[in-house]
Amino acid sequence: MARITAGVASSHIPALGASIDNGKTAEPYWASCFAGFDWTRAWEAAQKPDVVILVFNDHASAFDMNIIPTFAIGCGERYASADEGWGPRPVPDVIGDPDLAWHIAQSCILDEFDMTIVNTMDVDHGLTVPLSLMFGQPEAWPCKVVPLAVNVVTYPPPTGNRCYALGEAIARAVASYPEDLNVQIWGTGGMSHQLQGPRAGLINAEWDQRFLDDLTADPQRLRHIPHIEYLRETGSEGIELVMWLIMRGALGAGVKELHRHYHVPASNTAVGHIVLEPTD
Amino acid sequence: MSEPSKQDIHAYLEELEDIPGTRVFTAARARKGYWLNQFCMTLMKADNRERFRADERAYLDEWPMTEAQKQAVLKRDYNAALDEGGNIYFLAKVFFTDEISFLQAVGTMTGMSPADYQAMMLAGGRSPVGVRSKKDPY
Repeated sequence: MARITAGVASSHIPALGASIDNGKTAEPYWASCFAGFDWTRAWEAAQKPDVVILVFNDHASAFDMNIIPTFAIGCGERYASADEGWGPRPVPDVIGDPDLAWHIAQSCILDEFDMTIVNTMDVDHGLTVPLSLMFGQPEAWPCKVVPLAVNVVTYPPPTGNRCYALGEAIARAVASYPEDLNVQIWGTGGMSHQLQGPRAGLINAEWDQRFLDDLTADPQRLRHIPHIEYLRETGSEGIELVMWLIMRGALGAGVKELHRHYHVPASNTAVGHIVLEPTD
Repeated sequence: MSEPSKQDIHAYLEELEDIPGTRVFTAARARKGYWLNQFCMTLMKADNRERFRADERAYLDEWPMTEAQKQAVLKRDYNAALDEGGNIYFLAKVFFTDEISFLQAVGTMTGMSPADYQAMMLAGGRSPVGVRSKKDPY
């Protein structure tokens, strides 16, 4: 049977991808930020997941103003890197797992989550930067990926509570998949940042650290944080943290924190990163 | 399963307008900015970026955008673009076409010099104290 063995969360800042692609990770500005991912790269090399369910938000790349799905699951064979305006990132194509993805889609729909099925899309930095952070620069990504895109751009995005419950439904779907697979779930994006307007540059390290604490200590509190609190406390793009709650919901009641990293700033944002293991 | 929230949509939307220096991308803004944002999407193709660079005005005139939207793009006035319904992830296609970073572009919206904005970020960013609410600053 397939099983979810770990949850990983990380910010997915485009400048991190550009830094990796241009060989700048050792520069003073970036070195301490990237050092926080060294532990995870070594751990992932040992874990060898078969599949990563990668929760991310599309940044107006695959989805424009014509189609705005709240939850979209990639059921395709492969996904190319998107051209976001400076050419596609020079990273391998992302290989999907259509059988598992369709299984999750069907199971979640019967579980009353109205998933949008996507077979063709290019994937932007929201998906490819976390892969680079956790796996480095291989010739091919070492595992299959099921992309799960969440609308956090056009309001309202889903509530944190809904996201957490979707994670629980994904866990049920994975547990009912007959193939013996080591599956991880990643929640990406987030931590405090605001990319727009006179209030741009907002960082709330205290709030961020409490969110990281409560992924293990009090996840039930996190699922009831209203959108307005993310906006006031963590900036307009801090709303991306609801995606971490899909990851957390999929891990079950108890988790152990294996690794944590927090760094300010990378470009305009706080970098948060955590690795969790289910304990029951 | 916990109880689903019963959110009053009017109260929800009103609160979103209460944050200083912030335009939350609501349905009203999405409707207003539809063509501005769709124009931005066309810059995901290298050929279009070249055509835009060659004659920005002519390229913009191919889209049913308002004059205010076109001026916001021509002037790279991103606060004005947000007021006209632009969304930062769509507008990013413009500043990537200009080959400037998120850090450089975002800083232009704050009224700070690029150096001061960068220095603020290096010092830990902008504090939320006093910029959480327009009605009741705290």
